[in-house]
Amino acid sequence: MRRILFFLTTVALFAGCEKNSDIKVYRVSKAPLEEPGPDQQTAMPANAPSPSMPGGMGTAVSAPAAPAPANWQPQPLSQMRQASFLVKGDNGAVADISFVSLGASAGNVLENVNRWLSQIGQPPITDEKLNQIAQHLTTSMGDVTVVDLVGLPSGADPAKDGRIIAGMTSAGGSTLFFKIRGNAELTESQKSEFIKWVAAVCNAQGGSKAPQTASAMPSTDMGANPQIKWQTPPGWSEVPPSSMRYASFNAGANDSKVDVSVVTFPGEGGSDADNVNRWRQQIGLPPMTPAALATQVEPLKTDAGSFSIVDIAGPNARTVAAWTRRDGHVWFFKATGPSASVEKEKTNFVKFIQSIRF
Amino acid sequence: MVGKLVDLITSLKLTIVCLAAAMALIFAGTLAQVHLGIHEAQQRYFQSWLVWWPPEGNGLRIPVFPGGHFIGAVLLINLIAAHLKRFRWTWKKFGIHLTHAGLIIMLAGGLFTDLFAVESHMRLERGDTKNYSEDQQHMELAVIDTTGNDLDQVTAIPESVLRKNRTIDHWSLPFRLVVRNYYQNSRLKMLGEAGSAAKPIANQGPGAMIAVEPLPRTTAQDERDVPAAAIEVLPKDGGSLGTWLVSDALGAPQTFSCGGRTWKIAMRTARYYKPYSVTLQKFTHEKYAGTEIPKNFASKVTLIDPERNVNRDVLIYMNHPLRYRGETFYQAGFQQDDRATILQIVHNPSFLAPYIACIIVAAGLLWQFGYHLIGFARQRRRATP
Repeated sequence: MRRILFFLTTVALFAGCEKNSDIKVYRVSKAPLEEPGPDQQTAMPANAPSPSMPGGMGTAVSAPAAPAPANWQPQPLSQMRQASFLVKGDNGAVADISFVSLGASAGNVLENVNRWLSQIGQPPITDEKLNQIAQHLTTSMGDVTVVDLVGLPSGADPAKDGRIIAGMTSAGGSTLFFKIRGNAELTESQKSEFIKWVAAVCNAQGGSKAPQTASAMPSTDMGANPQIKWQTPPGWSEVPPSSMRYASFNAGANDSKVDVSVVTFPGEGGSDADNVNRWRQQIGLPPMTPAALATQVEPLKTDAGSFSIVDIAGPNARTVAAWTRRDGHVWFFKATGPSASVEKEKTNFVKFIQSIRF
Repeated sequence: MVGKLVDLITSLKLTIVCLAAAMALIFAGTLAQVHLGIHEAQQRYFQSWLVWWPPEGNGLRIPVFPGGHFIGAVLLINLIAAHLKRFRWTWKKFGIHLTHAGLIIMLAGGLFTDLFAVESHMRLERGDTKNYSEDQQHMELAVIDTTGNDLDQVTAIPESVLRKNRTIDHWSLPFRLVVRNYYQNSRLKMLGEAGSAAKPIANQGPGAMIAVEPLPRTTAQDERDVPAAAIEVLPKDGGSLGTWLVSDALGAPQTFSCGGRTWKIAMRTARYYKPYSVTLQKFTHEKYAGTEIPKNFASKVTLIDPERNVNRDVLIYMNHPLRYRGETFYQAGFQQDDRATILQIVHNPSFLAPYIACIIVAAGLLWQFGYHLIGFARQRRRATP
């Protein structure tokens, strides 16, 4: 009888469950997703080091102001990577080198070392053991903790895996990760070059005002240092840009000032309809169909090329925006503010666009 | 009393009644799909404890028949109880025990699938990359904290919670959400088009210029409801940030600030994020020559999993799904002149149950018939002079 009651209770408990009834809380990356080349033919083994992706992902970018050894082949950047290289050795040996920068909450050294150990099929270690194996590299950014880990996960190809040398440092709200992973011998032969490169990247970062914040500005791609010049119209004052902006200006009087922003992203930066609808929504306007929007967007020819320009007015604010796509980047220029102020500044805004040179 | 209950639970008559009721339910549920569509019919007839009449609307609801959950649960209990009561270990009955064990696993697997399996879809145009799938049958109110540099924090409130609760007070939000109006299906119109009597149900964002027209729930298989709600945002430290219209039909999320942070709010199809991404490289739709009859659908996708260092191309086509991290990707459909593919993604922790059950039942029947066959053969041999 007890057994029957047990089953009755169990079934009743299951019956009480309802799918899709709980509030979920999760975090998603702001970074754009890693996209492979359009016609990738090579199927990668499950535990190959980093993928080699032919074309399609923009230009390869090295870490800021830190030249990499000549035999490191730059690779397209992925979701998390600020720099990515592949080095090839004899008999198909490869090693993958990466530089990733995350925010301050990227875990402590022990957690990350144990994560790397698990990637090469090794058991976790304690703090005491970490102190024994960790080395420290002094740079202008601070000490970089470097570990050299050996292990081959089951089923992995020894030509492509077997050793990780990794460095990690935290500074200015960022945590920087450097990693070389691949064939054990090849990784060993690259160790000194890798350490030099880590030091060079950190010294370059330490010397600059703003350390990289990886996914915080994944798409501004400052490492690529896109070249642009313009003439600031009279009455506009440049203000420090936020992390997403390339440049910011204030125009007009304080009580009715117009905010002018310059933003750039690698790639297409979404469809024109999506962008204009987002701006419409920001000033309290409902979205429009792509066909209806197309009638509101006007071309603007300048010496630098052709821009698209749109002027949208909401109940309390107005936005004039221009954009162009060039050399794998999209550039957005936007002036937003009270309707009357934007009307006054529109001529200056158009002159500003016309003054742009790439 | 207890003895009678045990007799009832373990009786063979109960089994026959349950099987007959299941047959009647399946017949009625199948006919109901004509008017209700497959999803609604499944919910009302098979994924319910009781079948109600009239279904909805006029307040009076009378249970007219046991639902699928009820019949399945009683049958499962009956089978287990009868098995436990009559269990006697002999080789002669080993086959019967195995067969019944297989049936129990099949029934339990069905119940687990119903309770825990999650089906969703991923729509990809060529070159699209996604790391989430969407459940077209369920909506959610996504309240997104976009302040962080690297990550957005999403609080996803299921539509069922919006429907049942007037006030939502969650630890992840520095404000309470009060559901002022809720429509399970609706059409949005600009105030100018909706007539002079129409009034907005929101006073913030685009919703202040939009009228919401309630609609009856759709039952067509190729349509879905467009829920809409008016949500008032009340900071926990007092005051109100106004009432916002949220609807899948609005498109872009709406932005507001609270507690020194920037928030976005949007009603959207429920999302299931994954630690990997899928990119559509190519969709192939082959037809038999000279006809429009489909011959084969295939999606060539690239699977990228940074955690596991996976980057590989996979061809998904009929009867050749991709199985990865406990999820199965089936080729389910296509859209827009073959420009987009639709993959169905099923996460079913008990997907092996039917296979295991069938093997056990087959083994039990083989044992049982084999045992008797050998017995008969021996008797004949002995009887032969």
